[in-house]
Amino acid sequence: MTFNYIAAFFFIVLGFYCMITRHNLFKIVIGMSVVDYGTNLLIVSIGATNGGTAPIYTPGEIHPGTVFVDPIPMALTLTSIVIGACITAMALSLVIKLYERYGTLDTREIRRLHG
Amino acid sequence: MENLPILAIMTLFMGAFLNSLLGRRSRKVGNTVVFIAMALALGMMLALIRPVFFEGRTICYWMGGWAPDAGWAYGIGLEVDALSLFFGLIVTIAVMVSGVYSFTYMARDDSQVNFYTLFLMLSGAVLGLVLSGDLFNVYVMVEIMTFSAVALTAFRNDYDGALEGAFKYLVVGSIGSTSLLVGTILVYANLHTLNMAQIAQLAPSHMNATMVTAFAFLFVGFATKAFLFPFQPLAADAHAVAPASISLMISGVLTKCGVYGIIRLTYDLFQNISESTVSYLVTGFGMVTMFICVTMAFNQHNFKRLLAFHSISQVGYVITAVGLGTPLGLSAGLYHAINHTLFKGLLFLVAGAVQHETGSLDLDDLGGLSKNMPRTTALFLIGAASISGLPPFNGFASKWMIYQALFEKAGSTGNFFYILACVVALLTSVLTLASFIKVTQSVFFGQRRAKYADVKECPAAMRLPMWILAIFCVVLGLFPEQFGNWFLRPAAGAALNAEAYAAQMLGGSTAAAGAAEYTLIGAWQPIVWLLLLVLVCCAMTIVAVSGRRSEPEPLAEPDVEDEQVLPENAKYEPFFSGEESHYSQVGGSDLFWGFKENLKKYFSFWHDWHSGIVNDYALYGVLCLAAVLCYCAVFL
Repeated sequence: MTFNYIAAFFFIVLGFYCMITRHNLFKIVIGMSVVDYGTNLLIVSIGATNGGTAPIYTPGEIHPGTVFVDPIPMALTLTSIVIGACITAMALSLVIKLYERYGTLDTREIRRLHG
Repeated sequence: MENLPILAIMTLFMGAFLNSLLGRRSRKVGNTVVFIAMALALGMMLALIRPVFFEGRTICYWMGGWAPDAGWAYGIGLEVDALSLFFGLIVTIAVMVSGVYSFTYMARDDSQVNFYTLFLMLSGAVLGLVLSGDLFNVYVMVEIMTFSAVALTAFRNDYDGALEGAFKYLVVGSIGSTSLLVGTILVYANLHTLNMAQIAQLAPSHMNATMVTAFAFLFVGFATKAFLFPFQPLAADAHAVAPASISLMISGVLTKCGVYGIIRLTYDLFQNISESTVSYLVTGFGMVTMFICVTMAFNQHNFKRLLAFHSISQVGYVITAVGLGTPLGLSAGLYHAINHTLFKGLLFLVAGAVQHETGSLDLDDLGGLSKNMPRTTALFLIGAASISGLPPFNGFASKWMIYQALFEKAGSTGNFFYILACVVALLTSVLTLASFIKVTQSVFFGQRRAKYADVKECPAAMRLPMWILAIFCVVLGLFPEQFGNWFLRPAAGAALNAEAYAAQMLGGSTAAAGAAEYTLIGAWQPIVWLLLLVLVCCAMTIVAVSGRRSEPEPLAEPDVEDEQVLPENAKYEPFFSGEESHYSQVGGSDLFWGFKENLKKYFSFWHDWHSGIVNDYALYGVLCLAAVLCYCAVFL
């Protein structure tokens, strides 16, 4: 379990590192996605229980001692995944438009607004 | 009554969908739908004033009827106490004004259907955020809000820099969103609840390392949404390129969400604002933000970019006051928050009107527009006087309260930090005034270029929303005591009384939160100041009318060859000798040349700091997150 948390924060930091150091617009978008994946892993890990089953009530399969995983983080992860997909789509469409307009994907050349 | 908050949010979202369905054929139908949605939401918020502010009730609504059982909240709830409703009113009023302004301002753009759909989604998300009683819903609403705001920033994507501003906003804003989500989930891991009332009940007694980390993440998340330092470059980029009505929404409404979040987080959820370390953190952020942004505004040559830096600087005031943790400080912060929406909205709408009529926002290029646009100029002067804190306008009243709060805090603790904050606040106000003298001079007075001789006054439909904001600016400045009694004291009282917030939501008791207690120093009389202002204006008018008029020579278009012959600094001589000003090419933006020349190193450092490269901004954001995490880990 501890490994999950370490991996989750590793992905978040890796994504941030990618956003800071890469100058290609696509790589920045990839970095944002990696941050999202790390966050999702964190959420799922918090809800998970060792040996837990899916939190669906099925008559007959339930007996004393059955362990469920926490369903709320699952729901949160779903929402978070959907939002992450939207962010990626939105960012990519902006990248396409930016390339059409500036003719480059290098962030160092896309700086008309500064100072 | 219990249904009104959810209905208000739903009305705005439904309006967005109906506008998409019906608005494609005819813009008139679409605009009607948009107007009705905005008016209904505003009406519902107004209807809540009486029970919440005057009767002291808290409106709770549980989605699907999942009421709490045995003091444990299972469902998703909305909780509207005086603080939520205070921000709800700010939001709906700003949305109304911005929407009405857009009807004329955006009339020449195409695909307006998409504009209004996104606009209503943005409004609904912001309203949902301030009324929500569930931490995860706050995150979802923040995401919808950021999305619509990014799309609207890039709406005029042929406008230079619009796409760039939107992309930076999206990338660096995602750092804040991630922080919010991580903070939320860490709170859940510890307390097994997402309900804010439940968190308020449990958090203070369950503080451990995870909760401290969660606090740091949530704080940075909300700070991003308020565009505090070091996130202010996003605001500057997004404001400058967005349509003016959206600039109003970003500065007047989106930043308020961050402010609301920080108040809720520190006063209600974690209740740790009374600890001096948290107070230093919040006030320190506010202080740095207000000073750096106001000095950045000095360097700007774009009308709206300059306003954007001032906007964030004023949010810095709000955060500084909120960080004090005293009833007076919080009330002053809330007062300045609503005033900021009013005067900043007014100024952005004026900038939009100037852009609408002249097609330019360049301060070096514009000039002398007071002859063409006298009414807009009057509106601008009201807004500028308000933001600079001149009596009797609202900016003065709230800044006065902030100074008093800082003074009292500094006096009661004897702490050097609060004394410094007081000095910085005063200095920032002076610099704001100086900066607005520059804008007034370079846009509305000074000499007019020949190409702007035919500029017309903006349409009455655009002036109407501006007048509404201007009237609010004056009224709120004239009656600070009454406004405080009706709105500020209940709102501040609701935030300060976390037990009542938790108990009312979870059904433990119906005890009212009560009002915050503070006394104002009655050293100034707003009405007397108004009379004085009227007298001075009359005197100036008489002098101007009776005096001999000297027609200035029309300003010639700059001749490139002539300029090269001029010796170094010849451009600035009129400001030191006072001669030859008739033929000077000096624009208003060089008014403070001497000041800037002396502090060249400081200004150029911050100029280079705002490099415009999105990687740098992401770096600042992550460094800020790391710094806050370290600070909280060491001191909390």
